[in-house]
Amino acid sequence: MSLLDALPTPRLGRGKHPNVVLVSLSVTMLAAVWGLDAVSVAANRIVQATGVSAMDAIGWPGVLLASLLIIAVGGLAYQPSRTNYWAALGVVVLILALMPFGLMVAGHFLIDPELPQARLGIGAGYWVLLFILMLCLIELRLKLALRRFWPVVILSSIGLVWWLCASLWLSDLALIQEFKARDRQFIQAALEHILLVSVAVSISIVVGTLLALLMRRFVKLQKSAFALLNFLQTIPSLALFGLLLAPLAWLAANVPILAQLGVSGIGNTPALIALVAYSLLPMVRNTYIALEEVSPDTLEAASAMGMRASQRFWQVRLPLALPIMLEGVRITTVQAIGLTAVAALIGAGGLGTFIFQGLGQAAMDMVLLGALPILILALVVDAGLGALAEVLRPGGVR
Amino acid sequence: MKPNVKQPARLSAQSPSNRLWGQPLLWGLLLAICVLGIPYAEGLFRWFEPNARQVIYQRAHFYDLLGRHLLVVGVAAIVTISLGVGAGIAVTRKKGQDFLPLVSQLASLGQTFPPVAVLALAVPVLGFGTLPIIMALMLYGLLPIVRNTLTGLQDVDADMKTAAHAMGMTPLQTLYQVELPLAAPVILAGIRTSVTINIATAALGATVGASNLGDPIIAGIINGNMAYVIQGALLIALLALTIDSLFDALQSKIRLHLSSSPGDLARHSTR
Repeated sequence: MSLLDALPTPRLGRGKHPNVVLVSLSVTMLAAVWGLDAVSVAANRIVQATGVSAMDAIGWPGVLLASLLIIAVGGLAYQPSRTNYWAALGVVVLILALMPFGLMVAGHFLIDPELPQARLGIGAGYWVLLFILMLCLIELRLKLALRRFWPVVILSSIGLVWWLCASLWLSDLALIQEFKARDRQFIQAALEHILLVSVAVSISIVVGTLLALLMRRFVKLQKSAFALLNFLQTIPSLALFGLLLAPLAWLAANVPILAQLGVSGIGNTPALIALVAYSLLPMVRNTYIALEEVSPDTLEAASAMGMRASQRFWQVRLPLALPIMLEGVRITTVQAIGLTAVAALIGAGGLGTFIFQGLGQAAMDMVLLGALPILILALVVDAGLGALAEVLRPGGVR
Repeated sequence: MKPNVKQPARLSAQSPSNRLWGQPLLWGLLLAICVLGIPYAEGLFRWFEPNARQVIYQRAHFYDLLGRHLLVVGVAAIVTISLGVGAGIAVTRKKGQDFLPLVSQLASLGQTFPPVAVLALAVPVLGFGTLPIIMALMLYGLLPIVRNTLTGLQDVDADMKTAAHAMGMTPLQTLYQVELPLAAPVILAGIRTSVTINIATAALGATVGASNLGDPIIAGIINGNMAYVIQGALLIALLALTIDSLFDALQSKIRLHLSSSPGDLARHSTR
């Protein structure tokens, strides 16, 4: 035993303890840069792409730059302080902003301009790097206790850089080629997707709130309504879409007014009905819980102040319940974005069309063109409504 | 002290527990009857599709499809549970504490990813077949498990842990004999949600060539044959109800166990 062991261990200040999370994330990023394929190259859209390592794609100066930047993140996090965290945030943003340029360099090196069909795919290493950088952003946001507003600013400016690069210089990229081949279709599909989701969510907000209010009034209704909604959720979304085909087709054939209104077995109507049916459970559950959970003391205080029942509802219960209700809207919307993709199978349109067409043709770039925007849409809505709930929380932003 | 804790509980729980297993048994029986009986119920399904050439899904046996469905959900569940509970335990230990905020954020991010999109993104990497759907189910099912494991473990009374420590338990013993048993009902509730959601979601696998109970549904949608869709949907719904009631019974059993063991540490914390 040395003397050091006998001494009481000095309590390290909070700032001195290395941030293990960021350090290990940066080690993982290094492994991804060096060990995984950064990009892939294919002669056309159907053939299997071959992976290319970062060293071959952006050359040693590029790999060196990437490694140095990544090590900088880990190094700054090794001795954390507020300044170092801000610096690390800067480096992470810099890496994110430089990543499309890496793709440009790779395209310049790897794509033969003689082959118009040749295309550059994004490889596993690139995706992993992107994903871990997002994790770094989350960790830094938590450590710096930034408001939700900041990541929106940061990510949208990075998004701008990406968009500029994509529209000006990244024409070799498979995703961009796929987009250019069907840009009108894509924009229409995206709009359809958003429209379907927003109509379905609006309907379920209205119906869900009404149901929740009814349930509060007629307690007997509560159990059976929840049982029904729970049962609806056990039917796979896929089946619900399928099950609505026949009855609606029959209705459209036999009730001409409905057919004129656009009801048919295939297309938007069954999709909308299924989406609403699925969205109701989270909506009703959250609204009901939100309204029920307002503390009785608060309500009592309100009536002691001379508020009438309607005033109590509009001025006390509803504002207090709003953030939790909004949480229900968030869950519902994110779920509906995913389900709408499935609705493409029954001809409802939307971005899912590209996924299923792409799967059918084994054209993975097309699948990506459908899946990636859905993913981004879900994340954006999630972040946006989360931020809104934070603002609406009683007492405002913490 | 272990036998002390368990014995009386098992005895006292005996009679109500028999009643507990009735419901899952009933649903399971119904599922079995449907799986074996649908091929003979042509008359019934003919009623939905009077003009179709075939009304019973023929491309595979229903018990085969059910088996594959269970396999996919089971594998995904095992991986998700070990990952989710493991991560939950790791980040509530002293050494892993730093990862706690990131892991809880990550788990909630996992459910933001629509399963269809994950499925589609997984296909280029993992190929067509069963792997992409397992991957999608894992990501989708992780949140409820991680969230509930964290809640369960964090809600264990700090006094209980101190008491365990004072009794000379090692941290590992505290984890296995105090924290996990106390958190078990909450963790199980998370596993239940995750598995039930995934039984329905697994049907999506049929779109990327993983053959399971989603197959008849897809075939039905493509051929416009309602009878197929009903067969697939019926079996999936019954499977979900069976598994869900099984978990329900398991939860009640654990609750009985926790509340009726006299010498148990657990009893004090539930007050």
